[in-house]
Amino acid sequence: MLSVLSPVPGTATGLAQVPDPVFAQGMVGPGTAIDPVREPQTAVAPVAGTIVKLHPHAYVIATPDGKGVLVHLGIDTVDLKGEGFETLAEEGAAVEAGAPLVRWNPAEVEKGGRSPAVPVVALDASAEALADVVSSGEVASGAPLFGWR
Amino acid sequence: MAERRVKVESEVGLHARPAALFVEAAAKAAGEATVAKGDGAPVSAKSILAVMGLDVRNGDEIVVRVEGDGAEEVLDRLAEIAGAG
Repeated sequence: MLSVLSPVPGTATGLAQVPDPVFAQGMVGPGTAIDPVREPQTAVAPVAGTIVKLHPHAYVIATPDGKGVLVHLGIDTVDLKGEGFETLAEEGAAVEAGAPLVRWNPAEVEKGGRSPAVPVVALDASAEALADVVSSGEVASGAPLFGWR
Repeated sequence: MAERRVKVESEVGLHARPAALFVEAAAKAAGEATVAKGDGAPVSAKSILAVMGLDVRNGDEIVVRVEGDGAEEVLDRLAEIAGAG
């Protein structure tokens, strides 16, 4: 089973608490979300694999057997057009779980009137494929969030 | 098989939100559904990983192909999602 790790430090909330129905209703996929600590931080890779997409505000890592994990740094943060985000890697690169990918500051995102919630989503997966989903309590960066069969 | 070329007006391209809506609509196709960027290689329109990996940006032209009963209706919906600003 693939272990998907927290990309940021904070408090696990589950997807239902994310203030965006597309994530909250699991339309993007099942998973969980983190309410991140409000301080400058480096978001990391939740799994080992290839960086399929690296936007300043979101990224997708795919494992060698094709499991894709989306990490979205805040809600509607695409509107920031990268301001306040610094990418630390390149699309197409192979990374280990925990590799630094984006510098950002959830406090600044919140100050701008947006939710800094970080959905971590298993793409093309059914909810039944996930196990031991963490949806409450404090999590450190790199702590396990869910297993993926 | 039904095919349509659509200019993507979604500001973020086919990223998280529009990609999720697009894949949800494509999943309703009775047969295969694919999407390609311009004349590039088609990928499954039913896979959000494949669609997000296609890196479709605002202003790109995509070619959507759908097979099976009701293909035109599915295409209408896909074109509507991709064409929404």
